[in-house]
Amino acid sequence: MIVATELRKEFQVRGSSLVAVDGVSFRVGNGEVYGLLGPNGAGKTTTLRMVMGLLEPDGGYVEIGGVRTDVDRNGIRHQLGLISTNDGVYPWLSVREMLLYFADLYAVEPKIAKDRLGELAGLLGIGGILDQRCSTLSTGQKQRVTLARGLMHDPPVMLLDEPTRGLDVVGSQTVFEFIEILKGRGKSVLLSTHRLDEAERVCDRFGLLHHGTMRYEGTLGDLREQTGREHLVDMFIALIREREVG
Amino acid sequence: MQEYLGGGRLFRLCLKELRESLRDRRTLFTLVLMPILVYPLLSMAMQRLVIGAGSRSAGGPVEYIVGAGDEDGARVVASVLRETARAVNDGVPPAIEIRRQGASSEEKSTTGDKSTMAEGGTGFTADAFRIGEDVAFSIVIPERGSIQDALRVGNVDLAVTRAKREQVLPDGTMGLEYDLEMEFREGDTRSEGAMLEFRKAMQLVNDMQSLRLRSRFLPRVGGEIVGPTVQLVSFGTGKRGDVFGALSGILPLILILMTITGAVYPAIDLTAGERERGTMEAMIATPAPRFVLLLSKYVAVVTVAILTAVANLFASWLTLSLGGLGRALLGEKGLSISVLVQIFPLLVIFAAFFSAILLAMCSYARSFKEAQAYLIPVMLVSLAPGLLVLMPGIEFTTLLGIVPLVNILLLSRDIMTGSPAVLPAFAAVFTTLLYAVAALVVAARLFGGESATAGSQETWSDLFRRPRVERSAPDLGELAVYFALLFPVFFIITNLLGSWVEGIRERLWMNAAVLLALFFLVPTLVAWYRRLRMREVFLLRDWWGRGIGSEGRGVLGGVGVLLGVLFLGVGLWVVAYEVVKIFAEIGIGPIDLERTEELERAKNEFARIPLWLVWLTSALVPAFAEEYFFRGYVLSAFRGRVSRVRAVVFSGLIFGLFHVVSGSHLTLERFMPTVLLGVFLGWVAIRTGSLWPGVFLHAIHNGLLFWLTRFSPRELAQWFGEDNEHFPAIWIVASLVSVGLGVLLIFYSTAKRFDENTP
Repeated sequence: MIVATELRKEFQVRGSSLVAVDGVSFRVGNGEVYGLLGPNGAGKTTTLRMVMGLLEPDGGYVEIGGVRTDVDRNGIRHQLGLISTNDGVYPWLSVREMLLYFADLYAVEPKIAKDRLGELAGLLGIGGILDQRCSTLSTGQKQRVTLARGLMHDPPVMLLDEPTRGLDVVGSQTVFEFIEILKGRGKSVLLSTHRLDEAERVCDRFGLLHHGTMRYEGTLGDLREQTGREHLVDMFIALIREREVG
Repeated sequence: MQEYLGGGRLFRLCLKELRESLRDRRTLFTLVLMPILVYPLLSMAMQRLVIGAGSRSAGGPVEYIVGAGDEDGARVVASVLRETARAVNDGVPPAIEIRRQGASSEEKSTTGDKSTMAEGGTGFTADAFRIGEDVAFSIVIPERGSIQDALRVGNVDLAVTRAKREQVLPDGTMGLEYDLEMEFREGDTRSEGAMLEFRKAMQLVNDMQSLRLRSRFLPRVGGEIVGPTVQLVSFGTGKRGDVFGALSGILPLILILMTITGAVYPAIDLTAGERERGTMEAMIATPAPRFVLLLSKYVAVVTVAILTAVANLFASWLTLSLGGLGRALLGEKGLSISVLVQIFPLLVIFAAFFSAILLAMCSYARSFKEAQAYLIPVMLVSLAPGLLVLMPGIEFTTLLGIVPLVNILLLSRDIMTGSPAVLPAFAAVFTTLLYAVAALVVAARLFGGESATAGSQETWSDLFRRPRVERSAPDLGELAVYFALLFPVFFIITNLLGSWVEGIRERLWMNAAVLLALFFLVPTLVAWYRRLRMREVFLLRDWWGRGIGSEGRGVLGGVGVLLGVLFLGVGLWVVAYEVVKIFAEIGIGPIDLERTEELERAKNEFARIPLWLVWLTSALVPAFAEEYFFRGYVLSAFRGRVSRVRAVVFSGLIFGLFHVVSGSHLTLERFMPTVLLGVFLGWVAIRTGSLWPGVFLHAIHNGLLFWLTRFSPRELAQWFGEDNEHFPAIWIVASLVSVGLGVLLIFYSTAKRFDENTP
C-alpha cells in the first residue's frame, strides 16, 4: 500500500527555483496497478524518487505499508522494488551472480535467495541463461534479468519507471505479463509512463500529471466522466491545449 | 548495518566487486602485462646509465679515487697498495693482478688527466694501481677543503682519515704494520664498491704477510708476532648524493606508480562505471548502507592494487637480480628478499591510501571520461613529489614524514639503501593510514550522490557545511577528517617546538599554549561551527548528580567520586610504570640509553623550575585540554555508535597514539601506559558523565610524576628500595589496592547515573 500526501518538491536551477512537483496526492492499494501518467517533464520521476526515499520532499510525505519514508528510510527500501528505464546489467558477472548480488544488497538470506532465483528463473524464462555472462545477453534477455532483479527480495510494492521505453512489441509484452504477475501476487504497483495506450491496458487507476500538479485522478471511467473523452490520449491532448490556451 | 557486516555478506559483496574487476581485460592488462614489459625495458635503460656513470674511463677498469689528507697519508696508502703488488708478484692469489700506473706519490708529480676530479683542490698527487682487470685505485690529495668535504661532494670515493705505518721488525718492508682509518659514503654504490675493493686488497696483504712471516720467523718466535699487518677501520658517513643514491629512489617511485596504475581502472569502473552501465540507481535504491557499498568496492580496489604491487615487486626483483642491476643500484646486497618483505607492507599501506583517494575522486565523476579527466591531473601531481625524491641529497626528515606520497617514497628508498629513521617512518605509516580513512569517509559521502541527488543522504560537503540542526555528538566521519587534519599539525608543532623555543621555561609555556589551542580552542570552535551541544559533547556537567535532570547520588556521591579519583590517581602511576617495565622486558618499546641520558638532562633542568610552574603547564593544563578533547570530543563520537566498552578502548588507543610522539622522539614505551590511563579516564568519564573527575585524576597523575622528578635517584631509592627495575612488591600491592578502592568508590558513587541519561 502506497499513500502519497501533498507531495511538493522544488529544485534550484541557475538561481531560480523550479517547482517540479506541487501538492500531489494519491494512494495505491494492494494488488492494484496505478498509472502515473504525463508528458516528459511532468514530474513523474521526481514523484517516484520521493516515494523511494531517494529524494526528500519539501512538503508532504509518503507512507509505505503505513510507515512514513522519512521515519525509516532504510526499512522502507526493503519494501520497495524498482525497475527503471536506464537499468543496466553487470557485463562481467553471470546472471546468477548478479541476481544473488542484489539479493545480498536487500539482505535476503542466501538460502531464500537461492530458492527465489529458481522460482523467478522459471517465471521469466531465464533458467537457461543463469550462468551466462551478462555481456553476452540479448536486449530481451537483459530486460528479463532486470525484471527478475526487481523481485529478488519479493517486495510488496513495485515501482516501474518507464519500463517499456526503447523496447519492441515483444519486449513490451513481457513487461505487461510481468505486471500481471505482480498484480496476481497482490503487490501495489506504481507505473510511471508516457505511453498512454499501454497504461490503458494494464492500469486499474490513473493519475494525470501536468507541470507538477495532479490534473485528474481515478479509474478510466472516472476520467471519462471528468473529461468527457473516451481515451487517455485525447484527454491528454485536451489537457495540454487547455493549458496552452490558458 | 549489522545485517550487512555479518554472516559473510560483506565478503560476498566484496567478492562481486573483485570478480567484476578481475574478469575485465583492462585490469588484467595493468596487472600482468605492464610489469612484464616495464621492468626489462627499464633495466635496459638503467644498465646504460649505470655503466656510464660507474666506470669513468669507458672500456677500462673502474678507477676508484682514494683521497688522503696530506702527503704522509698518501705515501702510506701508496705503500700499502705496493705491498699488495708485492703479494701478487709472489704468486699468491692469482685472481688479482696489480699494475702500477702513473707517477709515484713520492715523486709528487701531478697527473693532468685526473684534474677533472680535483674540483675540491687543484694539482693533486696521484698514483693509480690497477688491480686485476676490473679495478684500479688512484690516490689524490685535495688541496682545498677537508678530505671529508671531498668525500661528501663525490670528488673522492674513499677518504683516508688516519694512516700510520710502523716498522715493527728490523727487516725492510717485511716488518711493516699499517693502521688505516677510512670513510666512505654509505648507500652510495660507487663509494661502497671502492671500500669493498680496498678491503679485499688489504686482506690480501694480510694473508700474504702472515704466510711469509710464518715461514720465516715461526721457528724462532712462534706464532705470537703474527697478526694482521693492516689494521683497517672504515666508517660510513651516511651521506648519499651521487647519481646512484638518486637512482635508488627510482625503484620505489616506479613500484608506487605501478601500484597506482593497477588501482586506477578498478576505481573508475566500480564507481563511475556503475553510473555508465545504469546499475548505480538500482544499487543505491537498495537498503544497503552506502558506506558498506563503498567499503566493498574499496576492498576490491585495494586488493587489485596489492596484486599489482606483488606482480611488480616480483618482476622488479627478477629483472634486477638477473641483470645484476640490483647490486649496481642498491649496493652489494642488491634487491634482497628481506628488502622486498619490508617494502611490501609499505606498498599495501600506500595502496590503502591511494585507493581511497581514487575512489573519492571517481565517486564524484558521472562518467568514465569524467573520472579519467579527474585522475590524469592527480597522477601528474603524484609524479612531482616522486621526482623530488629522486633529487640527490633529499633526506627523510620528520617533516617530510607527514607529506602524503613523499613519505612512503622516502621510506621505501631508505629501506632499500639502509635503515630509515624511526620517527619519520612512524609518521609516514600513521598519517598515510589516517589520510586513507579520511579519504574513504569523503568517498562514502560522494558515492551515489548524483543519482540520488541532494538531500537523500549525507554528502561530502556536509562534513564542512554548518548543519542546520543541533546535534549531541560528532559523527565518526567528522572525527576521521578532524584527525587527518589535526595529527599532522600536532606532529609538526611538537617537532618544531624544540627548535623554535630555547629555554625550558619558555618551552613549558609554549607546550601548554599548544595543548590549549589544539585540544581546547580548536575543538570548541569546531563544535560551535558544527552545532554540537557543548554540554553533552564535552561533558560539561557537575558530577554530583544534578546534571542532566538526574537525581544521582547527591553530594555524598560527588564526594565519593572525588575520593575514588584520588585513590586512582595515587595508585595508577605505579601501575603505569610497571607496565612500561614489563613491556620493555618483553622487548616492546625499550627505552634507549641515549634518550635516558637526555631524560636525565631534562630532569636536571626541570629541577631548577618552580614547582607551581611545572604543575600548571605540565599537569593542570594538559589534564584539562586533553580530557576536553579525548574524553569530550573523541569519546562522544564513539559513544552511542559502538558499545561503551569499545568506545572507551578506542578513545584510549587514540589517546595513546598521540602520546607516542613526544618532541622529536618516538616514545613507543609510553603507548601502553597511556592507553591504560586513557581507558581508566574514559571509564571515569562514562561513569560520572562529567569531564571534571577525569581532569582531576589526570592532573593528580601528571602532578605526581613531575613531583617525583625533583628527587635524586638516591632519595628515591630510600623510598622505593634499591632495585632500579621494579617497585618493591609492597608498593605494587598498595597501588593495586588503591586503584581497586578507587574503582569501587566511583562505581558505587555513580550507580548507573550516566547510563540512564545518555544512550
